[in-house]
Amino acid sequence: MATHQQGKKQRSRADWLLLVVGLILGSAFGFWITPTILYAEKPQPLQFNHKLHMEQVDNGCKSCHKFREDGSFSGIPGIKSCKNCHSGDEPLGNTPAEKEFMKFLKADKPIPWQVYARQADNVFFSHAAHAENAGLECTRCHGKHGESDKLRPYEYNRLTGYSRDIWGRGPIGLAGPPDRMKMDDCAKCHRDNGVNQACFVCHK
Amino acid sequence: MDWDRRTFVKFAVGAVLGVHASPLIPKFMDDTAIWTQNWNWVPVPEDGAVAYAKTVNPHTGTGAMAKLIDGRVEGLRAIRVEGNPDHPLSRGGVVPADASALQLLYNNETRVAKPLLRNRATGVMTQITWPQALDLVGGNLAELAQKGQAHQAAALGTDPSSTTGQMLMRLMQALGSPNVAFTPTPRETMALAGLFMTGQPFLGFDLANANFIVSFGTPLLEGFGAPVAVRKAFAGWRGYPKNQAYLVQIEPRASVTASQADQWIACKPGSEGAVALAMCRIMIEEGVYDRAVESAYGWNDVDGMMGFKSYLMKSIDRAKVASLAGVSLPKLVKMTLAFAKADRAVAVCGPGNSGDPGRLYDFMSVLALNALKGNLGKPGGVVAQQPLPLKSLGGALPEPKQPPLAGSDRPFSVNNVHDLAEAALAGKPYGLKTLILCGGNFVFNGPQANLMHDLARKTPFVVAITPYMDESAAMADLVLPSTHWLEGWGDSTTSFGSPVACYGLHRPLVKAVAEAKDAGDTLLALAQRLGGPAAAALPYKNLAEALAKRSQAMGDFKKLAETSYWAQKRPAYGQMRFNTPSGRLELFSRTLRQLVSKGAGGGQDLDKAVRALGVKGGAQAAFLPHWEEPAAYAEGAAYPLIMQAAPSLRTTWGDEAITPYMVKILPDTVLANADKLVVEMNPATARDLHLYAGDMVLVESSAGSLTAKLTLYAGAAPGMVFVPLGLGHQAFGFQVAKKGMNFNRAVKVTSDPMSGMPIWELTGVSVKKVRG
Repeated sequence: MATHQQGKKQRSRADWLLLVVGLILGSAFGFWITPTILYAEKPQPLQFNHKLHMEQVDNGCKSCHKFREDGSFSGIPGIKSCKNCHSGDEPLGNTPAEKEFMKFLKADKPIPWQVYARQADNVFFSHAAHAENAGLECTRCHGKHGESDKLRPYEYNRLTGYSRDIWGRGPIGLAGPPDRMKMDDCAKCHRDNGVNQACFVCHK
Repeated sequence: MDWDRRTFVKFAVGAVLGVHASPLIPKFMDDTAIWTQNWNWVPVPEDGAVAYAKTVNPHTGTGAMAKLIDGRVEGLRAIRVEGNPDHPLSRGGVVPADASALQLLYNNETRVAKPLLRNRATGVMTQITWPQALDLVGGNLAELAQKGQAHQAAALGTDPSSTTGQMLMRLMQALGSPNVAFTPTPRETMALAGLFMTGQPFLGFDLANANFIVSFGTPLLEGFGAPVAVRKAFAGWRGYPKNQAYLVQIEPRASVTASQADQWIACKPGSEGAVALAMCRIMIEEGVYDRAVESAYGWNDVDGMMGFKSYLMKSIDRAKVASLAGVSLPKLVKMTLAFAKADRAVAVCGPGNSGDPGRLYDFMSVLALNALKGNLGKPGGVVAQQPLPLKSLGGALPEPKQPPLAGSDRPFSVNNVHDLAEAALAGKPYGLKTLILCGGNFVFNGPQANLMHDLARKTPFVVAITPYMDESAAMADLVLPSTHWLEGWGDSTTSFGSPVACYGLHRPLVKAVAEAKDAGDTLLALAQRLGGPAAAALPYKNLAEALAKRSQAMGDFKKLAETSYWAQKRPAYGQMRFNTPSGRLELFSRTLRQLVSKGAGGGQDLDKAVRALGVKGGAQAAFLPHWEEPAAYAEGAAYPLIMQAAPSLRTTWGDEAITPYMVKILPDTVLANADKLVVEMNPATARDLHLYAGDMVLVESSAGSLTAKLTLYAGAAPGMVFVPLGLGHQAFGFQVAKKGMNFNRAVKVTSDPMSGMPIWELTGVSVKKVRG
């Protein structure tokens, strides 16, 4: 009996610290690697200063992000809309972005913007219902995008192809709009405001 | 603390738990689930402004609305084809071919994007430029013209009344070739029957206002005129608690129309015309006909020749016809009396189930029946369409010096693509050196696809002007890309059977694929390249300019293009004007007699002349509506069964190919095991031939064959085999190609007596079991 007890190694309780260390390191690795391998960046075709443009227009966001005659939302304005102000042959500014923009303008070529807030293809979202009927502010979902003076890099999910803004930039994707625009966020807002939450409301 | 196995395990377990506490696993699972929703073959249009544009599908005659999305980057893209509720004929409806038209438009696998030159030895296609392509065709045609061999160039087109069709005719005529033929249609047979009996080539049926309709073997609901218009009329006939109209379908198969009809009279194949004449005799014998018909020319005997009444009394015995057609005489009499009694009754003839132009004498017999009913020019009857106010593309051109390959022995010009092909292949009177296929996919659609295949194979230089790499393009030496109807200009004229004249105009709604041009523009460019008489015959900058000139009388061209159609406001009710030599309805056609006498040289024996034209009844019957036994009856013991097509709006309409969507909605009774053609046979016939349901069979005619799976159907007439139409493509991508077999490869085309039109409604075949 005594021999047996002598043979058993006395283990330190500090051993368990290694479990905690492993837990912390593993978790840190997971938090670091998830966005690193999942998201890739795409450059925007040219820079755009929302802040500067907001100072020039009278009707805020809706000056350019209009509703069409049929009530549908135009999203990012086309080059025709830009021509309402940038009508001449001369650039209105002297930034490199403006020079780049003039190339698109002269060629009457659409600017292939990457859309931060583009929802999945199976989602039907009506801006008219939210911004017009419910009176939500644009900032509720889009944050302070309209006050930015430059465009941040567009990040997309390599697996899904969707913008990172949908899942959110937070490490565990739990924040609500404007950081995140997932189905849970839509459902929560609908629930809080007593709006129908049936599948077909968004998934036609 | 020592670093040993146990501490390592603790660390590793901690690390694994730590990774699980991070978003790595749930996030990847979530995104993998989302990834499964992103099938890359599901087209997702770009976001953009949505607009509707009116247009007309020239293949179906449907007034359509194209839903377009103006993408920020990609530009305009058509995302849907819907019906145009304003269109007077289709009134908002579409058929599957319209609804799925985008599947042919946006199919990179099958669209021809650039001119292609094929090496005949290797079959390899190489891209060339448009100037090179035009030099090749132009050079070839110019060389033929220079050598005095212009007649050895032939062109096949789809619609002679369209502006592109007119251009094709003018181009070939200016070049000096008499050899132009088009897809045969029942409009031509109707025009002949109308001209011979009423002097009016454009006759239609006022189906929407009729309340008793007798259809003689024509697939009203599966393919007749503008298919949507007929479906709309049918919807109006039905009602609750009582139907608004009584529909009688006379044909050998319980087709869709027959099964939807109030009464189906199952007759023997090809006997429909005889039944119409029997109805005429019953009406006369029972005294229930419009007495005004007695004043028609040829009611009584004329110039020592038999009149219509004498013919009926002598040759049409109601009991004999009932026996010949295999129908119940009491039922036939009862139906005839109901037809005669109805206030708005109409008898309808049209294309056969196999899609052929119909038999002239059957059409004349049905017109005679309508005349006896007294419904000419009346609501719900037979009405004359107003001729479309279209201008000519130019002055008359000199007739080519050489006789055409086919039809020169006929008393009037005939559009017979089959005879042209047969004569060219036999080299009698001469062979072809160049063949221009302007749409129509003749190598698949035929008629008698085997023959057209041989023609394309044996002609030294073949040019295909087509939007698709179809069966015809695959055999051509030079493929010139043309636009889809949603991408380019074009027009279409009144559909068969329509009570009102209707012109359809389609314009470019989306950007054309790569270097595709309107077929009309290609012909104009070719005329310019040829110069001389060809350029003078077609002095237009582009097809749009030619269309504007042609439709000048329809008002502002821009507005017309946006409206997309011009239509006669209402059917021409009232006394029908007879533009015949006698100024009356002619039951004995003087026009026809004059033409045949002239063609026969006047002094020759008339009887001999009409028999040479295939009329077995001789001169006594040739100018009257009468019945002749179909040629398929005489095929002999080697081909004891009769084959007929079973058409469907789900397999085909017009000369366009079946679409992937249409293939998808086919039942197992049409296409089994995803790729096997299914043919129908009556169980008794199958029993006699020792065949069982599910057997693979070889259906063989003297012109070709097909293999198919057999299904037994009590609704199929005994002694017949029914084959779905429009399947068996070798082109159009994996969703369409190799699905079933092509009906047109087994049909045997013959010439209709007198009219000389190609007909293939019935083909004598043998059916035997094969392994498979």
